[in-house]
Amino acid sequence: MKEKLGRILNSIIFPLIILAIWQILGSLGILYETILPSPAKVVKAFIEIVKDGTLAVDIVVSLKRVLVGAFFGIVVGLVLGFISGLVPFVERLLRPIVDIIRQISLYAWIPLIVLWFGIGELSKDVIIARGVFIPVYINCVSGIKNIQKEYVELGKVLELNRSTFLRKIVFPSAAPVIFTGLRLAIGEAWTAVVAAEVLGGLTGLGYALLNAKEFLKSDKLIAIMFVIAFLAAISDVLLRQVEKRAFRWKETV
Amino acid sequence: MAETSVDNSIILDIKHVSKSFRSKSKTVQAIEDVDFKVGRGEFISVIGPSGCGKTTLLRLIAGLEVDYEGDILLNNKRVEGPGLDRGVIFQDHRLLPWLTIEENLALGLTEDKTQIKALVKQYLKKVDLEGFENAYPRQLSGGMSQRASIARALIRQPEILLLDEPLGALDALTRYNMQEELEKIWMDNKTTMIMITHDIEEAVYLSDRIVVLDARPCKVKEIFTIPLEHPRDRSSIKFEEYRASVVSSFRSAVSNYSI
Repeated sequence: MKEKLGRILNSIIFPLIILAIWQILGSLGILYETILPSPAKVVKAFIEIVKDGTLAVDIVVSLKRVLVGAFFGIVVGLVLGFISGLVPFVERLLRPIVDIIRQISLYAWIPLIVLWFGIGELSKDVIIARGVFIPVYINCVSGIKNIQKEYVELGKVLELNRSTFLRKIVFPSAAPVIFTGLRLAIGEAWTAVVAAEVLGGLTGLGYALLNAKEFLKSDKLIAIMFVIAFLAAISDVLLRQVEKRAFRWKETV
Repeated sequence: MAETSVDNSIILDIKHVSKSFRSKSKTVQAIEDVDFKVGRGEFISVIGPSGCGKTTLLRLIAGLEVDYEGDILLNNKRVEGPGLDRGVIFQDHRLLPWLTIEENLALGLTEDKTQIKALVKQYLKKVDLEGFENAYPRQLSGGMSQRASIARALIRQPEILLLDEPLGALDALTRYNMQEELEKIWMDNKTTMIMITHDIEEAVYLSDRIVVLDARPCKVKEIFTIPLEHPRDRSSIKFEEYRASVVSSFRSAVSNYSI
């Protein structure tokens, strides 16, 4: 317990020092407030957007997009990933296409996606799904393909039928790798939603960032940035809890 | 086919079996003209220098390697692939870490649930693991895990149990206990067992016959019969005599190899 507390302290001490220096510089009037407002001002701006309700609206809008986009990206990634992992022929067909899609940065895709799907919800969902698809697909394929050959042999020796072999050996052995893909994907989804909203939108956290910049409200801008970081971190913490529960068999005694 | 020639006391007939592995540049002869018979209920150990084709031989019998010359006849049928008539114990226990011990034992069994539960209980008892149904493999020691894997093989009631250095990864004391455990299991079940080992004392302690293999290519060098009663006494003079003669045969196999 004490050790854990120590570790937590270790990892927050440095950010706290930076925060303190930042505040001191602000209080001394050294910082140019429009460019870099002091932490106190950021907090004030945060309280403001909480009070007037705009933050809540933006969070709900962005969160919904993350959920919808991630859902489609994950479904497509898992389905194609499973098939590719199990059928080498399909993987050989899909791999080059996936690689090309992957090599072109997500940001480079946005203009085309907006052109095709408009600036409405659909294009946001597609952008996020594109971001999510890649890590899900890649981890799914490698999780299934990299199954230990010893376990494959065991399946043969026990004469397991195809369905038992998949359910009891292939999927459980791939599951941790696939789950890592899901965690990467959710991180990717938060990056993608902001990018999509900054580059083509009228609502959401990304648009709020852009808007704050237009009005030179850097305190609000930084406050929203922290909110985005917080949401992404919370998502990951939640997924890690799920992971811990799902893979209890991995724990050391 | 002449029915009269079928000898029911022979369960496994290994007839002039050779197996080579081809890579791009060369062909390695793993096994050459190995030939011996295994009687029903016999305990056979196969020993030989490391790097000779002991494991390959076992994998051939298990049906994990196919495409070999000669014939391996199991109950007079040529082995062409794996089958439930053969149980395999690997050097690593190979329990699936995401399944409980019960689920590991039950894997692929087709009986109904209550029957499987009873079977699992019965076989865990056989290997002294009662009450570990719901444990995960990581919670078991090396010896316990290997016992669980033996139970997993036995529960399918194979005609032959193939053991590939089953105790090789265990510490000396655990190994000693496991040898006695294995002897007990063999005496209780009367299952034919073929065990690969590099531990001569282990082979003498457990086996009816010991097949000593030569190194590269792997041929049968000598077959010893150990007619001692079970359970065996390691400290008896007879035991020591048998051990010594196997050691000397094994020594010359090893020295051939190093030349």
